[in-house]
Order: sequence, then structure tokens, then C-alpha cells
Amino acid sequence: MKRFEFVEASSLAQAAKLAAQPNGAVRAGGIDLMDLQKEHLAEPDRVISIRRVPGAAEIREEGGALVIGPLVTLAQLASHPVALAKWKAVAVAAGEAASPQVRNQATVIGNLLQRPRCWYFRNELLQCARKGGPDCLSQEGENRYHAIFENKDCAIVHASNVSPAAMLFDGSVKTVKADGSRREIPLAKLFVKPEVDITKEHVLEAGEVVEALVLPAKAGGDHSSFLAAREKSAFDWPLFSLAVRLEMSGNVVKAAQIVFGAAAPTPLRREKAEAALVGKAIDEATARAAAALCFEDATPMTQNGYKVAMGTALTARAILAAV
Amino acid sequence: MPPRPRRPRPLSVVGTSPPRLEGAAKVAGTARYVDDLEFPGLLLGRTIRSTVPRGELLGWSMGRRPRGLHVVSAADIPGRNAIALLEPDQPCLVRREIRHAAEPVLLLAHEDRDALASVAVELRERPRKAQLDVRASRSFCKEILIEKGNLSRGFARADRIVEGEYTTGHQEQLYVETQGVIAVPEKDGVTIYGSLQCPYYVQKALVELLSLPPERVRIIQVETGGGFGGKEEYPSMIAGHAALLALKSGRPVKLVYDRSEDMLATTKRHPSIVRHKTGVRRDGSLTAMQIDVLLDAGAYVTLSPVVLSRGVLHAAGPYRCEDVQILGRAAMTNTPPNGAFRGFGAPQTQFAVEVHMERIAEALGIDPLELRRRNALRPGDTTATGQRLGADCSALPCLESAVRRSRFVARRRAIEKHNAKARVSGGPLRGIGLALFFHGSGFTGAGEVKLASRAALELTPTGARILVASTEIGQGTRTILSQIVAEELGWPLSRIEVADPDTREVPDSGPTVASRTCMIVGEILRRCAQSLKRALGRMTPRQYLAKNGPLVVTEQYDRPKSMHWDDVHYRGDAYGAYGYGCDVIELEIDPVTAEVRPAEVTAVQDIGRAIHPVLAAGQIEGGTAQGIAFALAEEVVMRDGRMANAQLTNYAVPTPLDTPPMQVEILEFPYGHGPFGAKGVGEMPIDGPSPAVVNALRHAGLDIRDIPAVPERIAGLVDSMRGAAT
Amino acid sequence: MKLRINGTTFRVEAHPLERLLDVLRIQCKLTGTKEGCGEGECGACTVLLDGEPVNACLVPVAHAEGRSITTIEGLGGTEGSHPLQRSFVEQGAAQCGFCTPGMLISASVIPAGARREEIRCALAGNLCRCTGYSAVYRAVELARAKRARRRAR
Repeated sequence: MKRFEFVEASSLAQAAKLAAQPNGAVRAGGIDLMDLQKEHLAEPDRVISIRRVPGAAEIREEGGALVIGPLVTLAQLASHPVALAKWKAVAVAAGEAASPQVRNQATVIGNLLQRPRCWYFRNELLQCARKGGPDCLSQEGENRYHAIFENKDCAIVHASNVSPAAMLFDGSVKTVKADGSRREIPLAKLFVKPEVDITKEHVLEAGEVVEALVLPAKAGGDHSSFLAAREKSAFDWPLFSLAVRLEMSGNVVKAAQIVFGAAAPTPLRREKAEAALVGKAIDEATARAAAALCFEDATPMTQNGYKVAMGTALTARAILAAV
Repeated sequence: MPPRPRRPRPLSVVGTSPPRLEGAAKVAGTARYVDDLEFPGLLLGRTIRSTVPRGELLGWSMGRRPRGLHVVSAADIPGRNAIALLEPDQPCLVRREIRHAAEPVLLLAHEDRDALASVAVELRERPRKAQLDVRASRSFCKEILIEKGNLSRGFARADRIVEGEYTTGHQEQLYVETQGVIAVPEKDGVTIYGSLQCPYYVQKALVELLSLPPERVRIIQVETGGGFGGKEEYPSMIAGHAALLALKSGRPVKLVYDRSEDMLATTKRHPSIVRHKTGVRRDGSLTAMQIDVLLDAGAYVTLSPVVLSRGVLHAAGPYRCEDVQILGRAAMTNTPPNGAFRGFGAPQTQFAVEVHMERIAEALGIDPLELRRRNALRPGDTTATGQRLGADCSALPCLESAVRRSRFVARRRAIEKHNAKARVSGGPLRGIGLALFFHGSGFTGAGEVKLASRAALELTPTGARILVASTEIGQGTRTILSQIVAEELGWPLSRIEVADPDTREVPDSGPTVASRTCMIVGEILRRCAQSLKRALGRMTPRQYLAKNGPLVVTEQYDRPKSMHWDDVHYRGDAYGAYGYGCDVIELEIDPVTAEVRPAEVTAVQDIGRAIHPVLAAGQIEGGTAQGIAFALAEEVVMRDGRMANAQLTNYAVPTPLDTPPMQVEILEFPYGHGPFGAKGVGEMPIDGPSPAVVNALRHAGLDIRDIPAVPERIAGLVDSMRGAAT
Repeated sequence: MKLRINGTTFRVEAHPLERLLDVLRIQCKLTGTKEGCGEGECGACTVLLDGEPVNACLVPVAHAEGRSITTIEGLGGTEGSHPLQRSFVEQGAAQCGFCTPGMLISASVIPAGARREEIRCALAGNLCRCTGYSAVYRAVELARAKRARRRAR
């Protein structure tokens, strides 16, 4: 591992300023950064720790929204009683990530911003398109774990459990930049599709530091669901994951939100299926029909066609579970 | 009626479960593994490996060399550039020809980890076309033919002929402690401290490699964090590397692989393709078995001929049949060499035969349980090599006990009702499967005679000290050998000590492999104890030592007089004894996610005599978990001759959440030549789970013939099944 | 930099991003904490940080500064006298022993009265290749039962 400078910031604004200088990286829990350094995917000259920033490890309710600080761990969120009651899918998604040890250390924000798990990307010997190489190696290679949507240029799947669930609530991140200015970015605009810029997964600028993940309250938050299929029961990134939230009026759907996680390079809203659910009572048939709509535009690769069948069935199940 | 287990004489130490001898150190964290050892002036080693699966090494260049860097290439090898084992074909370092990816080419050592990691080495390799398809390979390192009776006669007597092909993939041993050794240069030789199973294998390899006499190559096994066969032959390679660096630098060198290097470079279970053609009568009796076994040996011979041997010897399963032909071949490819892994060929071939038995029952429309009852080996029957089985042949009692204990018949009926409903509702499916299996203990045929293992007991003032090269790798060697000796001497366990496996101190009791430590080495030690007792007479050890001076009693393996083996024709008594087992496994299958969850396991195994019931049950539970994962989860993805998923993140070993509750029952049908009746127990537990799992999947309606049956494979089948049901 | 490990203060010289695992093993000579994968998958390096299990291979030492660290050496001393340690030996939950320190650390924070399913979930981040976990569950349950019985007296 390369030697680098280590700085402890006393505020997030200071962290942003420090990180904006060439080749800086901000760490909170630091799980992904540790991994990336080991694989020589990140070799920062300076690492800025924010662990001493006051209040950064808190979950607060502010004006009805849940505000999650940058040092809040997955374990904290997963066991937070208010989150479990009103932002259920988010808490469940956090609790299903990785292992107990990692959940005690990894932050929610870090989970959102982690780099992809694609084995071509993670292999330091290979140059894939995301690392500036000519081709996406999964196109002709081993692609059983790869994306089934929007996968022409790069077929990574979005790695975060938390983000699809957070998008159900129109979540956003509040950030501070190196010049001290602040902005709020809706999650729907945070993640970058490969066709826009294949080398990055989110729009944050160099040195831009996330101050909080903000989740507005939504009707149906207690009925939201998160489901994932995995190869083993603990510590595995999902083969497919999704989050569903339904706002019900009696037994009829008033509004619906469906977001896929590990299916495309970025979290994927499924608006067509959402619209199809509105005004309907949820039963097996409507759930299946909506699920089928979600996969109309799927473009499976040579080895991952199974994800379409698996995903369709899992989507139907998640819709039924959200009622 | 099957014979009842003989009532053994009452014993006071054997059959009890005292704390394992090194248990306290392991739970306190004070047990010292190789990476925990310190030596003054220690250097760290690093291995530079080939990147192409086949080709020629044209040269290499190195970027900035930090001061104090030591480099070793093939030119530095003082002896023969080969890892001595069965064949001298595998070089210690590539000279010119590259036969697989991740083949060691250069060795580096430096005292600073970061400096060592920063050295950039570029290999110039000219790639050549690699053979990565075992079916296309025409290069065989071993062929074995077993013939019994007359195959065409058997087929002529059949009412039906059932054929099938079954395949298994690589499996990584995944001991939690990765491979590692420390080599310390001595005045006139070298000492190796290592995580390893077979000290004398390493000594033999280093004697050739370094051109030193055996007494100058000292091998000491330190506490070893699991082996499962993976530390049988590979430690000779890594010890060779460390020794070369140590001799060149004149300083101690530590080579400990990280997980990724360990998975990329070291041996795995041989992938297999097994074809069955079986003649069977309407009543289910087997009239002819024709079996073709193909193993992927990888790029060098290593232990493949013996793995193949054990594979073919178990290929017909624990079944009676008069007309049998088994052809086995191990083919060379340009993938890293495969080697020893718990079971050693038998899990692959018994997977095939047990899944095939299920298909035979289906073809005949008879109950698979009845099919097994009809054909299971009984005392007096002969195996495929013509070995006549004694009263300890317990296939049928194991089967009946597992069926009774698991309430197999009632549960099977209940599951069929459940599935009929679930197929309509789309809910989770269930399946229950059964597998009957056996496993020969000890080296095959004349192997034990050739090994001629020796064990010794040294009298101490307070008791006796065991001197064997058999290693403790987690399975309980130290404890059970002490129990056997204590029992024979009539002493409490506390009076027995065990010497560290150090080639300077202990005789060669053979490798710690092949389920032989308890049955073979244990019996030699029991005879040592007998001799010691005789020598002592009525004296206490202290009295004896005062009067006569030191006493070391050594005994050698003694072939049971009735055992005969013809290695040319593969006829006769392949093993001294067989253990038998029957597994029943129930699964739940999520038709949505294609996740298969093992719900409940019953494992009944006859091991002759449980020297230490808790440790024996631990072998059964652990082996069973590995066997289930072999069937469902553990997939080595090979891409261009390299393991593409060489990280724990991407290679799915079972976590606590993937492992089902297990019900274990130990049966004791004693073997006359094992200590207090004991047979082997280490490997057998991994033979049964994979066919039991696949038979359970079949019961749920899924036609699987290739493992691992990972979710993405099952997904397609579930889908087509759902289509068929609606 | 000062580290508080098992109730004792250790003075260490380390780059802030050095892995806590290496600092424990190399500088503090606390070699009971093991490395099985270096990527947070196997749990052999589990230690407690302020009472919560984490993977020491993923914790930079700077993040452990000023917090209370518990390693296997701090659980029951060199004798291994913690009830969990004794029941691990009794039940055969330690075979090769390499995953054992991490497994014990994770087990040490399982609340009394935990059911089998909760035990499984609490140990989900610790791989054992030898036991198939059954003996581990039995050992955890036995230690809990013994503690409950002692309290009842």
C-alpha cells in the first residue's frame, strides 16, 4: 500500500477544502477505501478523516425528515427504531448489507458511494472501460453477475443496498464543497450513467463531502420493502435487489414507487410499472403484471438471462410484501 | 439380518471426550501459527508468477531495486529443479516452459513489506495455445482399468439399460489459515517451520531440490490452521521457495500467501466427468455397471494418479454387482495442477453413482430407497476389485438407521403433498434426498506396505511421549493418538505427551492424509504401547529409567495377513477397511430467487469405533458442511486458465447462515486391525452430501447432473418447471 | 499514538492508516488476532472497538485511537478462562483454531438468552471451515446456560 498523508478534519467544510487538493480522499468508515487501496484502485496522497467531526455520527429527525450523518454506521441505521417504523425499507436494506462486523464500521453514506464490485474493475491487472481501457470486459467475458439494463457501455451493477430504498423516499444528499458552498442533490441525480461518464459513479466533485443523507417522510414508509437475492446468506453483494413503496387508500394503490438496485449501473426507477399499479388492488395477478412491465426493456447478456426470471418473480414478491 | 455391532470391551479413555490437548491454547489465542513466529533478521518473501496459461519465458526485467533485495530464479537451484512427489515433472521455478498461469517464476525477499511490494517485475512471455478443455485433452497422466466378471454377460441379463453423465467442478480447500512457511538457514542446511500436513513429503522434496542429505533438511510442523488436503503437497513448493531465498540471502525468510494468491496458485479438487451405463433387472438388481471416469489433472502430475485410483475404487458405490468395468483417466490441461482435497476422488465418483442410482429408480419406477436396499453391499459380498467384505460391512445398517432417524419415508410423503400445492401457489418447494456411500481408510492396496510407516513411544519419568510425524491440523490427531496409547497402557491421559512433528525428532509415520492417522498410525502406536507395557513389567517408568536408562519403542506397519493386492490388474483388497455412511438432506427451494436452503441434515456414519466422540462428530459435521457447499455454492470460475474469482468475496464458502442443523449418529462396526476397532473418519463425511443434495433437488422436480448447482443455474430450471406446472 | 487494548495502554509508532490488525500483531505482539483474508470476509481478525465487533483488517489504526479495543488476549487471559472459551473446548468448537479467536470475540457480545437464530446472525461474519458451525452454536448456548445457572444461584 502506498504511503500517504493522513489528516483529521474538525469540520466537513475543512475536510472538503483538504480533499480538493490533488489526489485527496475522504474517509469515514473507510471500508471501501481500504479495499480499493489494497487492489491499487485508489492511491491517494492524502486521506482526510472526518471521524472527529462533531455530530457526524447522529441520526436526527428534522421537520419530519430523517437526517443521517456521514459517520452513521449501517448497524446504527438498521436498529434505529424510528427508521424501522417510518423508513422501513431503508433500515432493512442497511441491516442486510455485508456482515455484522462490517455493518458496525461501514457508514451509510459510504455504502451509497462505494465503487462497483465488478471483478474486471476490481482486478488490478485488467484495464476495463471504467478504468480507461478500450472495452467493457464483461461484454465478452464472465457476466453472470452483471447488469441486465443499460449495460452496453459498462455492465457494472449498482452496489449499494441503501440507495434504492432511499430513493423510495425521494432522498437527497446535502454536500459541502471545497469553497465552502453547499448544495443538495436528489439521489435521482446523484448517480451517473455510463453513457454520461463511464469513469465515475456519482456527480460529486473532487473534495465535495456529503454532510447528510436526507430522507423525507412518505406515506407508506412503514409498508415499504427491500428484497435481494444472493448466492450465500451473509456477506454477499446481491445478484438482484429492489425496493418498493406503496401508498394505499383502502386496498387500492394511490401511489407506487419501485427502484431496482443491483440490476443496472445506477439505481433504476420503474415508472411504467409504478403507473400501472395506481388505482389497482394488489393481488398476485396485478403484482405479476407490474413486475413483467419492469423487465420489458431488459437486455440480458450472454450469462445473466436468469436474472430476468429471478428479478420478475422477486419484484412481484416485493410488491405483495409492500402492501 | 445385518450383523449387530460387536459389544466392545469396557474402556476408560477411548470413547470419552476429554478436552483436546491444544484446545486451551487455541481458545486463548496463544497457539502459535507460522505467521506468529519471530526470527531475528527475518525477510519477507514474494513470488512472481506467470500470467499466461501456456508459453515460453523469454526473460524478465525489473524496475528500481530497493537496497537489500534478494532475487532467486531457476538458475539458483542447487539440486534438481523439480518438486519430488510421484513424477519429477513440476519445476520449482519456471526455467523456460510455462504450463499454467500463476506458475512461480521468480522469488524476491526483502525485510520491508512495502519495499518488497513496490518492486515492479515484467515477465517477457511468448504465449502458446493452451489446452483448457479436459474433454479435448489427449494427454493422460494415468489410466486405470478395473474389470470384474463379464460386462457383456451382465448387460445381456438386464431388462433395462440406464445411462447418464455427471460432472463436478473444482473446489478450493479454503483452510482459514493460508499457506505459509518460514525457512531458516542453518550452518550446513535449512530448517523449515510450516503450516503443513506431511513433514516428510517436504523433506523429500527439499533434499532433491537443494541437493542436501536428509539430516540437513529439518522440517517442523507448527500449529496449522486447517488443511483438508490442501497442505498435503503444496507446502513442498512454498517451502522450496522459502528455502532457496533463505540459502541465497543467508537470513530467515517468511513466505505467507495472501488469500488471493493462495486461491490462484495452489491445488484444488479435480473437476470430474463420470459416465454411467448400467444394466438393471425389473426388480432393481444391478446386473452390469460400466463406468467411465475422467479427471482434470491440470498442468502437472502432482497426486493425480492416486486421486484417480481412489476415485475409480469408489466409483461403483457401496453396491453389489457381479459384472463391472471401470475405466479411469486423468487428463492434463493448462490449468493450475489439481491435488489432494478431503475425499481424494471419491466425492466426485460417488456423487455420480448416487445421483445415477436415483435415475435408475426413476427409469424403473421403483422406490429409490428399495433400489438401495436391494443392492447395498452386505458382509460376504465382493467389491469391484473382488475384495470380500467382512462382518464390519455396514452399508445396510447405515441406510436403515438414517431412514429411521430422519423419518425419511413419512417426510418424503409429506413433502410431496406440500409440493403439489406449492407448484400451484408459487410458494417455496421442498425436497428430500438420500445418499449411501463408503470410504476406504488408509493408503490404497499395497500403499501402506510401501510406506512402511513407523511410530515410536518414548518412556518419560511420568509416562510416555508419542513420536510420530502425523500432524494435528484441527482434526484431533494429538488427542486421539494419546487416548489410544493411554488406553492400551491403562494410564490416565495426563501421563501421555506428544512430541512436535519435527523430522529430527520423530520417525516417519507417513503423511497425514487418506483417513489413515487413526486407523493405521493409531494401531502402530497401540502396538508400541503394548511393547512398552511388556518392557515395563511391574516397574513404574521412573524405576525403569533409573535401572535401564532411556527407552524408546518403535513399531512398523504390519500388513494384516489376509490382505492381498494386485496393483497391475487392480484386483484384491483395495483397503484394509471401509467406513459406511448414509446422509439424508432436506432442502427448501425458493422458486423466485432460486436460492436453495438446506433445511435439515441427518448423517449416520460407521467409523468402527469413535475414539473421541466429540471430535469424531466434529469431523462429520464439518465434512458434511463442505460437501453441501460443494454441491450448491462453491464455484471456481476459470477464465483463460486462471481462477477469475480468487477472492473470498466472490468464492462462496458457507457462512453460519448457510449451514443447516445437523443430526449426527455414529455407528460402530469394529475393524479387527484398527485400534479398538477404529476405521477412518476424516474424509468419508464429504462423500455423501453432494448426491443427497442433488437427489433432494430431483425430488423437488429439478434435473441437476452438474455441480455446483449455483442459483443462476437453478434459476433456469425452476422457470421451466413453473412453465410446465401452469 | 496511544492505544487502549484490553485495559492496558500501548504506545505505538504507526502510520494512521496502517491496519489495526498489523499494529496489534506486529507492534503489540498480540498475535491471537488472525488474518484469514484481509478483505473483511472471514472475520478471523474480529476485535471489539468500544464493545462492538469489527474487522481489524479494515480498521485503520487512527480510527481505534482513543477507543477501547478488546482482543482475544483480553477475553479470558492466557488461561482462556472465559466461560465461552471453556465451552468451545468442551464442545469441540475449536478444531484448527484459526477462526476461533475472531469467533469468540463475536460470540462474546451475544446477549444472554439469545435464540439459535440470533446466534447464527451474530456470527454471520465469521467463517469456519472445520466445524460446520454446529459445535460453535452448542458451545455458545452452553456457555450462556452456564452463566444463567450461576446467576440463578
